Amino acid sequence: MQPLANITPLKPAGAIEVRNVGQIFKTTTQDVVALEDVSLDVKPGRFVVLVGPSGCGKSTLLMMMAGLRQQTSGTITISGAPIPEPDPNRVGVVFQEASLFPWLTAEENVEFPLALRGVTKNDRRARAQDALKLVGLDGFGKRHPHELSGGMKQRVSIARGLVQDPPVLLMDEPFAALDEQTRMTMGDELLRIWAATGKTVVFVTHSLTEAVYLADEVIVMSPRPGRIVDHLQVSLPRPRTYEMLSGDAFGSLRDRIWRHIRKSA
Amino acid sequence: MQSGLVVKAARIAIVVALFAIWEILSRTGIVNPRLLPSASDTLSTLGELLQRASVRKDLAVTATEVVTAFALAVPVGALIGFLIAENRYFAEVAKPLLFFAFSIPKSIFLPMFILVFGVGFSQKVGFGFFSTIFIVIMSTTTAVESVKVEHLTVARSYGATPVQTAFRVYLPSMLPVLLEALRISMIFNVTGVILAEMYASRDGIGHQIATWGENFQMKQLLAGVVMIAAIAIAFNELVRWVETRCSHWRT
Repeated sequence: MQPLANITPLKPAGAIEVRNVGQIFKTTTQDVVALEDVSLDVKPGRFVVLVGPSGCGKSTLLMMMAGLRQQTSGTITISGAPIPEPDPNRVGVVFQEASLFPWLTAEENVEFPLALRGVTKNDRRARAQDALKLVGLDGFGKRHPHELSGGMKQRVSIARGLVQDPPVLLMDEPFAALDEQTRMTMGDELLRIWAATGKTVVFVTHSLTEAVYLADEVIVMSPRPGRIVDHLQVSLPRPRTYEMLSGDAFGSLRDRIWRHIRKSA
Repeated sequence: MQSGLVVKAARIAIVVALFAIWEILSRTGIVNPRLLPSASDTLSTLGELLQRASVRKDLAVTATEVVTAFALAVPVGALIGFLIAENRYFAEVAKPLLFFAFSIPKSIFLPMFILVFGVGFSQKVGFGFFSTIFIVIMSTTTAVESVKVEHLTVARSYGATPVQTAFRVYLPSMLPVLLEALRISMIFNVTGVILAEMYASRDGIGHQIATWGENFQMKQLLAGVVMIAAIAIAFNELVRWVETRCSHWRT
């Protein structure tokens, strides 16, 4: 168990601060600079999307925010405290598909983080039910992952990320494996859940459309060494609608991101 | 469900047909009944053999050897397999060597086991162990490799301790492969022990079968074959049943 009392929040819960962060991978032949001097502030409750070409280190940055990997230089704080190891009370992580345990039912998967901390069975079940209801999977708790569609599996993953009610939700290309229609639906669902819970969300994607559609802010990164090359504010009104996709404001934002990425490709 | 029943019926029909052909071949004299006693004679001999104290003792001896060899080979093999799979360098070094060892017919080492252990319990157990351990090592490495990195990352991101990761991720991921490995290892193990008994032994069912063969006691010999086959199939099916119960999620 993380001794929560030791963490004195200097910043409000859900704030993320990245200061001059660098990451160097040592291989036998050479050192690869994956990230260089990355700084970024995410205010509580914001929806921030990281985009960039493959190998720009956006997933690496996300893993460092989750405490799953340590930066070579610089500091990262979540709710005001550094994150030397994963802390599910502060951060929930949603991975790409196939991250659910196939031998557990949907509700057991959602209960997994609670079971690790010895929460009682009844309490666990009740909280898993709430989380499943929140993601629109009421009544599907007894199914195993192979009995669920791709979109439903990712809903379960989101429920698992939210079940401990952390202020921050980190999402690593969660919809990458879904077909286009499911992806759009899941985007809307995620925005609904985000609006209902007020979490800080950092979302990694390859899709520019998805980035602009979901985000308050889009961070564009360059390939190795990964740097932040642009930071866009998306001022499109909420709730976002399908019609906005064909609007001028949407198009110009997407073009701006695309120009950065084309330049670096 | 309908087709499932049909398949089952077809299977039973094949077994019944085999016994019927056996019976007919022997009864009509197409095959010399002295070489091939009829199925009904064989089965009644089997019933009679199972009444005999000496046969029961032989079965008990063989069972003890099989269980001992298995109980030694599985944990030792699993531990070695686990260490190999978890250490990339060790895996690279050891894997081809294991494949070499696995490809050698184990029976050629049997005379050495007799010279080292003498004729007796330890020779059978030693040879059973030797016949089994390579398949256990190789299956365990496969089982460990079947654990998905994504699942380990998930466990880590939710703060799982190493013990929790072992019991909640490694074990359930590996269980279907492990059970399958257990089943196949048992086949190798029984083969090893019975071969050792047939080759040089004073007791055990393998020894008994070899003796019946040498003395041209065809009824007893065939009854022994049917008996061992039935026991082996029963064990195999039992583990397979557990397997399907534990791996319903595998698709």
